[in-house]
Order: sequence, then structure tokens, then C-alpha cells
Amino acid sequence: MIIGVDAGGTNFDAVALEDGVEATAKKPADEDGAFGNLLDELLAEVDEVDRVVVSTTRVLNAAVQERLPDSTNVLVPGVGLSPELAYAGDENIVAGGCVDHRGRVTEPLELDADPSNPVVAVTAKFSTRNPTLELEAADALDADTVAVGHESGGGLGFPARAETTVANAVTKPVFEEFESTLYAALADAGVDAPVYYLKGDAAMLSRRAVCATPAHTLRSGPASSSLGLVALSSVSDAICVDIGGTTTDVTLVEDGFPALTESVGAGKLCTFYDGVVSVDATVGGDTRVDDDGLTGVRDGSAAAFGGPSPTPTDALRVLGETTEGDEDAARDALSKLGDPDEVARDVVDEFVTAVTEAAGSLERRAETVVVGGALADAVAPLLDDSLGWASEVVVPDNADVCGAVGCAVARVSVKTNVHIDTARGEMTVASAGEEKVEEVEQGRRYDEDDAREVVARETAEATRRAGGDATTDEVEITSFRSFDVVEDGRVVGSIVDAEAQAEPGGRYL
Amino acid sequence: MTVALVYHEDYLLHEHTPTHPERRERLTYTMDQLREEGVLKHPSVEVVEPERVDESEMSRVHTREYIEKLKHLSDEGEGALSADTHVSEHTWRSALLAAGGVVEAVERVLDGENDSSFVMSRPGGHHAFADSAHGFCFTNNTAVALRKAQEDHGVDRILLWDWDAHHFDGTQSIFYDDPSVLTMSTHQTGRTLFPGTGYSDEIGEGDGEGYNVNVPLMPKTGDDGYRQVVREVFEPIARQYDPDLIFVEAGQDNHFTDPITDLGVTAQGYVDLMDAAVETAAEVCDGRLVASLAGGYGIEGGLPYTNLGVIASLAGMDTSNVREPATYEPPSDGPSADRAVAKVKENLDDYWEF
Ligand SMILES: [Zn+2]
Repeated sequence: MIIGVDAGGTNFDAVALEDGVEATAKKPADEDGAFGNLLDELLAEVDEVDRVVVSTTRVLNAAVQERLPDSTNVLVPGVGLSPELAYAGDENIVAGGCVDHRGRVTEPLELDADPSNPVVAVTAKFSTRNPTLELEAADALDADTVAVGHESGGGLGFPARAETTVANAVTKPVFEEFESTLYAALADAGVDAPVYYLKGDAAMLSRRAVCATPAHTLRSGPASSSLGLVALSSVSDAICVDIGGTTTDVTLVEDGFPALTESVGAGKLCTFYDGVVSVDATVGGDTRVDDDGLTGVRDGSAAAFGGPSPTPTDALRVLGETTEGDEDAARDALSKLGDPDEVARDVVDEFVTAVTEAAGSLERRAETVVVGGALADAVAPLLDDSLGWASEVVVPDNADVCGAVGCAVARVSVKTNVHIDTARGEMTVASAGEEKVEEVEQGRRYDEDDAREVVARETAEATRRAGGDATTDEVEITSFRSFDVVEDGRVVGSIVDAEAQAEPGGRYL
Repeated sequence: MTVALVYHEDYLLHEHTPTHPERRERLTYTMDQLREEGVLKHPSVEVVEPERVDESEMSRVHTREYIEKLKHLSDEGEGALSADTHVSEHTWRSALLAAGGVVEAVERVLDGENDSSFVMSRPGGHHAFADSAHGFCFTNNTAVALRKAQEDHGVDRILLWDWDAHHFDGTQSIFYDDPSVLTMSTHQTGRTLFPGTGYSDEIGEGDGEGYNVNVPLMPKTGDDGYRQVVREVFEPIARQYDPDLIFVEAGQDNHFTDPITDLGVTAQGYVDLMDAAVETAAEVCDGRLVASLAGGYGIEGGLPYTNLGVIASLAGMDTSNVREPATYEPPSDGPSADRAVAKVKENLDDYWEF
């Protein structure tokens, strides 16, 4: 059994998945011991847990609300363009030292500065070809939290790697706090299965690798609902709308998988990570309504569920579009703003208009809309009227826990950069998390087929290190080149340089 | 300000022999450096993928017989134009693509789409004549592009500065009697380097007399010597000629690590050369400047840094940290360029004021 946990800002949802959804649970995020209670409820119906997969909006919320700590960005730029291009920190320190394009250390590390912040990022030019200087610098620094560039991901691009490493460094404390709470709750519940997190690109990654690169979770929320709605509705091309308590996420599905965009960021953070294409409307079921309409702010639950302020959930209850919750409380709350039926109609109109605009803002190629979230059943018919271009608006079973379902159907995928230099006798495999550096037979020459086989094998292995089980057949090599190294008129080895990834994917239920 | 960086993966296809100095890593190591530096994603750089020119474009410069010969050797998949210039199955198509790259770069600047451009292509072209070639070259890509620009855009005057370490014998021959393209070469003297031509008394002929400038330099000439030539020869001639476009044939084989030449220019020296071209272009032709990679065989220690330096200069980036890693020791001061400059002035005194 796979357990999917969607830890949103409003609710924590969980599902147990085997051939289909076997059990579900839901708890308010602000409840004391929410994780423990959630797991207790779910595990009452589950025998054996194979893995736990989690999505969280915690990192995103901290970034958007600018609640992240200041960072010191230590750069080892070596020679080349001005290191200012990589000044991604609140404080930036330039150290001496140089790694060249072959991954050779051509100048030793020189670092004698004291970071003024407890959170430190260390990025060296060409560190994915040789992480030595970054590791030396990280060792030499006395900091509570350190992120290093070569663990941020494979590929070349020093300024973007520095930005990403800073993003990972500053999100580590908030992620660790979340992660340790959940981990303790799992331990208390007697679950010792491996734990994964859903990245913003809708593939999952081992807990360990995400602890090194928590900025990967910036779009974890919309990724999980999108993947879940695909699994539940078996659509190939669609717009997905997940109505939450605070916000509504709109995502795009193409060929049965969420469409992706490059270089996801939030607040001050920039990364070179992919994430699902997503628009979020700052309206949700619990958004406070005042005299001017929807405020974009959530005070707590809807009045119908004991909350302090009138909300769209209350408006839907008053209009009879939903049957759950206390209708009198909803009516009372709305009547403070005027005639409750009239206010309810205005609020629902404004709410549906906001979601319609968000859904219409994505460049779509399909006319199917899939709706998820607790209010999906109530809102879908209204959206059907409002979305002129939609041919069908679908609410699949279990749409209220679509994010947790998305986690449960996710697969492991990492991008790798495999660099083999047999003239140096060294191979590096950089991906998210620890980099593999290995000696290889010096002077060996590769023909293309052999080289591609090594790249596929190393990528499959990197995927396994990240908790996956990809076979070499499932590896896609996205860029490849190989050539001989000639020194003094002699061929002294080969260089192979490739980027690859195990195909991500979800599944239909 | 944007620079078009013209590059195509197929520039890696053509190879002479397995250990030939004109190898694909000339571009791959540079591209690695540019990727790692973030140059390819920098807002002032636009990466452009060129297309091959039509075969007919080659006829602007080359004879029918020569074109057929090249195509035939390429079809056969092997052959040689000279002891060091080998044809492979990819050669002809690579030459069309290299010419296409220069055409694209020139057109973009003349159309105002980009302020300047740099072509990262191979094989090179400046040792290609109308009916033959040697020196790792096959077709004169620059001449093809400039002839096309004259015809399509009505450009009156083009200043072509070839700073490759080797004399541009092919290019000189094509424009020797033509004042509409002022050709200037700074190179290691033919007394000590292939192709053995390029003396300062080769000044052009007929209408082109005075419009061909050769500055042969002593072995070991370094940054200071080159700066002197820029100041005393290139800049005054450029001002007086008042071109509509400046074209730099950017040979990076003046670098001190280059294994087949014997000059002493550093990466910073290259930055200075391109800075001078940029400033002069701004002064005389509204900044219209196109540069194209020519030679350069210091594959690991030279090219990644010289190419980065000149592209960064074109893009107006901070170049103060562009240098070779400390493992490569720059040479001490080279010989003065006094004599070379004096001879140029003597030979061209009737045509230009120095
Ligand atoms: Zn040359």
C-alpha cells in the first residue's frame, strides 16, 4: 500500500492506494498533532505501508510571505565573467580558487571570510565537474545550515546554480522543521517505509535528496493536485482546477501528465528547477468576505464549520449548492453584510469569475476541465455555465483528496549530467543530492553506443539513489556528445558529456 | 544591446584526421565555458541557429569547378586539398552551414535585429581562394557573406580586420582589386609562419590599391604590440575609410598557449582587441560589428577564455575577471611592433594619414 499525504496550508489529506483508493483521511492543518491524527485515522484501515509520498506548500508559503532567513552566498567563481552575475545572497563572499571546464582544480581554494548569516550557500564554477572546492569551502565554514552547488542539480550554468543553491539553503530550516514533525509522526505510528517528497515537476524524490534541495518543493502543491486529477479522471489533455481553502490552483495537463515550465521561483527565490505550469487564484473556500467582496485572506474555517468570518463556503451553503455545515451559522455570518441570499449570490459570482479567469489564462489545447478540492461538486456546475469554452467539466471520485492521490501515483525522476573524461580517468554524475565521483579506466575510448549505455546505466542508478526503480530502458538521454581528447598530437582518451533523465510519469487509476 | 551568438551543433561534425589541431573541441570546450558562465541565457545574448546557404551563394566567390571538386570529394567521403586540409563526408555541408552562419550574422546586424554578432563556426575560411584552398579552410565564408551583403543591402564600404595569427591569403586575393572592402590583416610574419605571405608592400592593385593592409608581426608579439597596431594603424584607417560595417575575422591563435603559432597575446589582450573594434564601430558605423571565429588551437587553455573575452566585450559585460587559470603562465613582454608599424606607414603613406 502506498500512502499519499498532501500537506496544504488549510488541510492535511491522506490516501492509501493499492489498485485504487482504499482509504482517505482529512484533518485541519492547524489542529494539534494533525499528522498523528491523520495517520491514525488512515492506518486504521491499512495493513502494510510500502512507501509514503508527501507534497507540501510549507516552503512556498514561507517564500511568498518572505519568512525565510537571510543567506550568505559564498562563490568560488575562478576565472571568467564577473561573479556579480551570481550574487544571489543577502551577503555575497567571493573566494579564491578555480575549477576549469575539464573539472581540474587549477587554483586552490582561498577563503578567509566569516559569513554573517547562519544560512550559507557555497557554489563554485564547474562544480558539477568537480565538487572538491565546494566541499572544502563548506567544511571550512562554521555555519548552521549549508547548501552546496553540486547537490543542487546537474548541468552547467554557474549563476543559475548559485541562485538555486541559495534557494535550497534558505528553505532548509523551514523544510527541516516540517519534515522532522512528519517523520516523528510516522515513527510514532510505526511506519518505517521509505519517505519521498513530490517535486514541483510532479516526480518524486527521496526524503534525503529533498532535504538537500527543498526548493524542489516550490510547486509541490499544484503538482500533486494536477497529477492526482489526471489519475482519478484518466484525462489526456485538460485544465485542472483544485479549489483549496486559501487558494485555487489551475494547472495544465498534456498527454496525460502535467505540463512543465522551466526556472520556477517564488518570492525572492529563483531556481533552475522545472515545475508544473500553474496559475493560482487567491480565492478559496475559506476566503474572508467583507463589504467589498472577497479579501484574498483566510481567517480560519467557514462560519458553517465554526469559523469566525463569512466565506464562499458559507455562500454556497446558503444557496443550497452544498449540504454540509451549519446553514444557520452561514446565514448569520452573511447577513452582517446585507441580505444573506443577495450577498451569497454576489460572493459566488465573484468566486466563480475569479476561477474562470484563472482557468482561462492558460494556453490550453483541450476543452475538458477537471475540478478537485472539497467544494468541487458544488462549484463544478457553476464553472460549467461560466466557462464558455469548456466542453465538459468533470469531478472524479475522491476529487476532494486529489493532492494526496497525486502523491501516491508519483514516480521517481531525476535529471542527471554524466561527464566521463577518460584522459583524466574520472567520471562525475551530478543530479539532485550527493554527486558521484568515480575513477574510470584511464585512456579508454568509447564508441557512441557504449557511451550511451553508460549514461543510461548511471542515470538509472542515480534514480535508484533517489529512491526510484527506473530501468535503463526508461532513461531518456536529452543531450549527448562524445569526442576524443588529443594531447600533443596523440589521442589520450575520450570525453562523454550527456544529460539524461528517467522518464517521470503517473498512472491512471 | 544584444549580441547574436550564431552556433549550430552541426559545426561539430566535420573532422580532418583524428589528431588534427582543427578539432571539434575548439567549439565544445568554449560552449561549455559559455554555458557555465550563463552567457547563453544572458539577456544581452541571443543564441541563433543558422541555416546552410544555397550552393548558388558559394558562386558569388568560388568557381564552378572548385565547388564541384569539393562536393565530389565530400560525396566520396575522403580526400585532401593539401597536406593539412582533409575532406570528410561532412565537409561540404559544414561549409554551407559555416557560410550560412556568417550570412546570418551579417544580415542581423545590417537589419538592426542585433547590435553585433559573433559566429562560433568551423571550418574556417580565410585561406580559401576562388578556386582552391589550404590551411584547414574550404570556402571563404566571410567573402560569401560580404558579397551577399553588398548585393542585398547596398553596403558601400566594409572594413574587414582579420586578426588571425596567419595571413589571410585567400581573403586578400578575393578583394585585392576592390576598394569596397578594405582588408586588413595583423598576423605573425610569413617569414616564420604559414602561409608565408602577407608583407606590408602587398597593398592591393587597380582600384583596390591602398585598400589592402598587412601588418606582419614578429614572433612573441604580445598585448602591447597589438595595442600599438590598433592605435597607430587600425583606428586611423578606420576613421578615414568611414565604413558602413566592421567585420572582424577573429582568429584566436595569437594566444600564448597556441601550439601551432608563436605569439604572446593573453585573454585580456583579446578583450582589448575587441573593445577597440567595438569602440571604433560605435564611432564610424553606428556600432555595426560582426565577428567570426577563425583559427585558435590552444583548445583547453586559450580558446575558452579568448572566446569568452571577445563575446563578453561585444555584449558589454564586465570582462575584468576574464583570464587564463594560473596553471597557464603568460609570457613576459614581447618584441615591439615599432618596425612593423613603421613599414606599414611607409607603404601606405600615399593613401592614408597616420
Ligand atoms: Zn590561423
